Amino acid sequence: MRIYSASSEETLRARKLLTDWAGEGFLTKEQYQLLEQETVSDLRTTNFFLRLVLFFFTLISVGAAVGLFFVVFLSRPSDQTTGVFFLIFAAVCYAAAEAAVSQARLYRYGIEEALAVCSVGFICAGLQTALFRGGPYSPKPHAAEFLVPAAGAIFSLWIWRRFGRSYAFIAAMIFVIFLPGYWTSSHSAQHLIVAMFYATGLVVVAVLRSRHRFDYLDEVYSLVEAFLWLGIYLAINLKLSSLDLPTRGWIGTRADSEFSGWFYWGTWVLIWCLPPIVLARGIRLKDRFVIAVGAIVAILTFVSNKPYLGWVRHTWDPMLLGILLTGVAIFIRRWLARGPGGIRHGFTSERLSGKDKHWMSVGSTVFGLLSPHPITPSPQPSSPDHRFGGGHSGGGGASGDF
Amino acid sequence: MTILTRLEQWKEQGKISPEQYAHLAGLSRGEPFSLFIELNVLLYAGVLAFVAGLGWTVSTWSQQIGDVVVLTTLSTILAACSWYCFSRAPAWSPAETPAPSPIFDYVLYLGSLVWLIELAYIENRFHLLSGRLDPYLLVTAGLFFFLAYRFDNRFVLSLGLSSLAGWFGLTISRWSAHQDEAYRQYALLYCLLVGVCGTLLERRGLKPHFFGTYLNLVANVLFWAVLSGVFARQDYGPWFFALLIACGASLAWGLTRRQFAFVAYAAVYGYVGVSSLFLRGVSENAAILSYFVVTGVAMLVVLVQIGRRFGRLE
Repeated sequence: MRIYSASSEETLRARKLLTDWAGEGFLTKEQYQLLEQETVSDLRTTNFFLRLVLFFFTLISVGAAVGLFFVVFLSRPSDQTTGVFFLIFAAVCYAAAEAAVSQARLYRYGIEEALAVCSVGFICAGLQTALFRGGPYSPKPHAAEFLVPAAGAIFSLWIWRRFGRSYAFIAAMIFVIFLPGYWTSSHSAQHLIVAMFYATGLVVVAVLRSRHRFDYLDEVYSLVEAFLWLGIYLAINLKLSSLDLPTRGWIGTRADSEFSGWFYWGTWVLIWCLPPIVLARGIRLKDRFVIAVGAIVAILTFVSNKPYLGWVRHTWDPMLLGILLTGVAIFIRRWLARGPGGIRHGFTSERLSGKDKHWMSVGSTVFGLLSPHPITPSPQPSSPDHRFGGGHSGGGGASGDF
Repeated sequence: MTILTRLEQWKEQGKISPEQYAHLAGLSRGEPFSLFIELNVLLYAGVLAFVAGLGWTVSTWSQQIGDVVVLTTLSTILAACSWYCFSRAPAWSPAETPAPSPIFDYVLYLGSLVWLIELAYIENRFHLLSGRLDPYLLVTAGLFFFLAYRFDNRFVLSLGLSSLAGWFGLTISRWSAHQDEAYRQYALLYCLLVGVCGTLLERRGLKPHFFGTYLNLVANVLFWAVLSGVFARQDYGPWFFALLIACGASLAWGLTRRQFAFVAYAAVYGYVGVSSLFLRGVSENAAILSYFVVTGVAMLVVLVQIGRRFGRLE
C-alpha cells in the first residue's frame, strides 16, 4: 500500500542513525564513511528548509493554475461544473504526486506533499460544490453533506497510508470532528461519536503497531497513536473542546447545562483517568510521542479541573502549576541519576543523541525570543490606582502608561 | 532490512566491534531511553507557568499585599537565583560550556524573568524615570548579554536581543501599527548593531556558537524592514534594490555555509517583495494568476536545482 518500499525507508533511517551516532562519537570517521556507502538510498531527499519552501511554491503554482483555468476557460460556470472540475483537478494533483514519487523518486521533498495536500482540498471543494449548494456554513446544512468531511477523512487517511505523512492523519482527525454535527444535534452524542471514532482508530493502530517494533513504521504509528490519545482527550474534555464546528467555530466552551449530569461528571472522571493511562502506555512502550501527550493531557487536566468543578481560579494557580512541573522534573531527574549508571528501568535523564542537543539549542533560542517581556506589555485591565503594566517601548522614546 | 539486522551484519563483517554493536543496538531499541528533552521541556514550562502566575498575582494583588511584601518576595527570588548561578558556575570560558547542573539554565532564566517583573513593578509604582522605560530596556539588555556570555545561556541571550529590540522600538505590537520610515531606520540600525557585534564576537572566538542566533534574528528583522519599504507607496526603489542585495547575500551565505534557512529566507522574502512590485497596479485576475503560475514554477525549478546540488538530507 505504501508508495515507498520498506527497504528504501529502512535505508534512509539507517543513514540518519549513522550520522547521529558518528556525531556523538559512537562510530569513528572511518567507520562512518565505510558504513555510509552501504546506506545509499534511491530516494531523492532534500533539506528541511528547502522542503518547506518547495511545499510553499508548489501550493502557489497549483492554486494559481487552477484559478487561471477557471478565469480563462470558464466564465460564470454552474456549481456542478465547478465541482466536477475541482474533482478533475484533485485527480490530476494526486496523479502528479504519485508520478513525482514513482518517476522522480521524491521523498519528503515538499513538491509531492503539496500535490497530495491539494488533491485532498480539491476533493472536498469539488464534492461540496458539485453536490450541495449554499456552501458548508449555510444555516441549515443538508444531512447528506457529511459526505464531504467523510470523503476528506477517508482520502486523508489514504494519503497518510500511501505517502506516510503524519499531518495527513491529523487532517483526517479534523475532518472527523465535523461528522457528528450532521448526524445528531445532541452535543453529548457528538462528543461521544468523535471519541469513539478516535478510540476505534487507536485500537487498530495499536494492533498494527505491535508488528512493527524497531522498524521504520514504529515511529509512524507512534506519532499517530499520540495524536489519537490527544484527540480522545480533547473530545471528552468538555472545558476544552467544542464539536459543532460548522455553526460555532473551532474552539469554544458550552454552558454546562447543555450536557446531562451523568455525561458531564463522567467526562470529568475520564479526564483524570486518561493521563495516567496514556503515560503508563508511553512509558511501557518507551514511546516519546505518547509520553509527551500523556504529560500534555495531565497538565490540561490540572488546568481544566477548576472550571469543571465550578471553582474560582486564583492568580497564583499558574505558580502552583509551575512549582509542580518543576518539582516533578527535578524529582524524576534525580531519581534516574541515582540509579546504577544513571539508568533506572531502562530510562536515563542523560542526553544520548546529538539531535537532542540541536533541538535544545533551537528551542532555547526561539522560546527565549518568545518569552513574556513585562517591561513592554500591552495594557492590562486593573484597578485605576494600580495600573501595573501598560508600558510601551520605543527607540529612544519609550513611555509608560500609568 | 531493519537497523538491528544491519548492525548484526556489520558486527559479523568486523565493521563495528562487539561493544559498539551492543551499545548501538541498545540505542536502536531504546535501551536506555533518554528523557532528556522531556525533562527540559517540563522545567521550561514550569518556570514559565511560575513567572506568569507571579506576574499575574503581583499585578492583581499588589495593592492588598503592599509594596514591601511584593518587592521583598521578588528580590528574594532574584537573590536566590543569582546566588545559585554565581556559586555554581564554572570558570568562564570563551568556548561553549555545558551547564554545571541540569536545572542551572532554568534558574538563570527564572531570575531573568523575575528581574523584568521587578523592574516593571518598581517603575509603575514609583515612577523613578517618569514612565520612560527605554533606559530600563537598555540596562536590561546589557545585563542579559553579560549573563548570557557569562553563563553560556541562549534563553537569556534571546531575552537580551529582544530587550535591545524593544529599546530600538521594535516591539511587534507597535511595528504592525506604524510601518513608517522611522521604524525601518531603527530596524536597520538594530540589524547593523547586532550583526556587527555578533560578527566581532564570533571572530574573537567569544561564544562563537551564539553567532547563528544573531544571524537568524538579523536576517529576519532586516528582511521585514526592507520588505516594508518595498510595500511603501512612494520611494520604494532603493528598498527594492536593498531587498535584491539582501536576498543575494542571504542566498550566497546559505549555499556556501550550507545553512539552508538563509536560502529559504532569500526565496520567500525575495519572492514576496518582487511579486509586490511586479503586481503593483495590475488588477486583471488572469494576469495576476499567470504571474503566479509562471513564477511559482520558475522558483520550483531553481530550488530543485539548488536542492540537487547542495541540499541533501540534513
